[in-house]
Amino acid sequence: MELTKNITLGVYLPGESAVHRLDPRTKIISVTLLIVLLLLARSYLAFGLVALFLAGMVYIAKIPPGYALRGLKPMLPVLILMWVFQLFLYQAPGTATLFQWWVFEATEAGLHMGNLIIMRVLFLFSVTTLLTLTTSVVSLTDGLENLLKPLRFIGIPYHELVMTLVIALRFVLILAEELEKIMKAQMARGVAFDRGNFIQKTKKVFPVFLPLFIGAFKRAEELIVAMDARSYTGGKGRTKMKTLRMGRVDFAAAVIMLVFTGIMIYIFTAFKAFI
Amino acid sequence: MEKIIETSALTYAYRAGSSKEVRALQNINMAVHKGEILAITGQNGSGKSTLARHFNGLLTPTSGRVLVNGLSTDDRNNIGEIRKKVGMVFQNPDNQLVSSIVEEDIAFGPENLGLPQSEIIERVDWALHILNLEELRKETPHNLSAGQKQQVAIAGVLAMKPECIILDEPTAHLDPRGRREVLESSLRLNREEGITLVLLTHFMNEVIHCSRMLIMDSGTVKVEGSPREVFLQGDEQIEKLKQMGLDYPVASRLAAGLNREGFNLPSDIIHHEEFIASLCQLTS
Repeated sequence: MELTKNITLGVYLPGESAVHRLDPRTKIISVTLLIVLLLLARSYLAFGLVALFLAGMVYIAKIPPGYALRGLKPMLPVLILMWVFQLFLYQAPGTATLFQWWVFEATEAGLHMGNLIIMRVLFLFSVTTLLTLTTSVVSLTDGLENLLKPLRFIGIPYHELVMTLVIALRFVLILAEELEKIMKAQMARGVAFDRGNFIQKTKKVFPVFLPLFIGAFKRAEELIVAMDARSYTGGKGRTKMKTLRMGRVDFAAAVIMLVFTGIMIYIFTAFKAFI
Repeated sequence: MEKIIETSALTYAYRAGSSKEVRALQNINMAVHKGEILAITGQNGSGKSTLARHFNGLLTPTSGRVLVNGLSTDDRNNIGEIRKKVGMVFQNPDNQLVSSIVEEDIAFGPENLGLPQSEIIERVDWALHILNLEELRKETPHNLSAGQKQQVAIAGVLAMKPECIILDEPTAHLDPRGRREVLESSLRLNREEGITLVLLTHFMNEVIHCSRMLIMDSGTVKVEGSPREVFLQGDEQIEKLKQMGLDYPVASRLAAGLNREGFNLPSDIIHHEEFIASLCQLTS
């Protein structure tokens, strides 16, 4: 029962590395670009390159590799399920059949598709986690706000939107802790979460989520009162402690991203099949 | 004495006007004087939190009036000015920190005030310095102890340069060490920066450090005085406090117990040090 240990999304690891020092806008744009590349990638070679790129970033950001991988653990059951679905359900004409079981037929194309989808989800998750691990809530807010500023012309309250998103991220870990506490309290009173069939297990989840939701609303209310007491009235009339400034690191990052994108686009066009 | 907060005939009811109306505060007339440390105590549901939330306009009276530096909290136009003067620290540090970096969280208040950048930085540095948090400035609150988080919350309020800080059971979620640290930093703010403090607490060994105390019970102020006056020994007084769910401080109880056994200790002991000193006089 260690939920919080495996949660890395929304956690910030303070540091002074080049990745930490990057302007949040550089990071957000790079992450968006990487997400697009990941959605377009269809070959092992492309995913391999992304893996190398991410490993490089983790190294530069001085994030313990074990910690970076830990966040992926809770996703494993879902990923395996997705992989099995792809293996049996993805059919492409002219591919070899690997094996057959009852009415299901596992094809080579399905195997590749399963592998690629798993990698895509894993890397999408890793990229966003890398962003939140190295960027504090406020600089994330500043960056996003700055990038979304054009939205004000169509009357969208961009500051409030960003604030909501960013506070939600900060509470991921706190709510996970609370969930752990509630589950432990119920385990102490004899609930066995890991026993029973699927339906029985699902039924046990409801008594856990009810207190969690009530708790979340209470927290939200307390936070609102606290923000109110600290004179928060929305984006209007606010000033900032830090001004965003692009520096040499950002220039270097832009060059790296451009080169990497170029290589990826070359791979996309040059190799069509699963390589 | 100059009054920073003053309530007159303050009454507050939840769901006012409906059949389920609950009177939380009834006809409260009290004041917070400039430069003092006022303790407000009383058992859960006595209305102390509700009262404190009137001090910076988080709640407004159903009837009666609350004046902060002469400004009524009823007028929405005054709220901005009032919140600048009266800061508030809450029970649970996790639910009042906004940012994931200490210094950025402290900057949140000044940023809301729309101060120029140089002044925000200056105030953040100052608040960090006063609370001895300089080493934690780049830390993330999640890695801090509950006591440290609460100090960050205090620094965040301090950076708004308020005249008065209301601490709403700031130590309720803390371990003994965190409790001591938060109490000491708060007392220092009063001593060195002259900030008026209103401390809501259940702990009598926190109350004894305050200059004045109020005891609340079922929405009214029942007892008012200096801790030394309130905790004066006497069976009647002990019984009265017991009915309001309150105990005497440890030193007073020890002295009272010894006096019952025939010793002759002063009847207004509240601090440990006083108790020890008078014990030493007994033996010598």
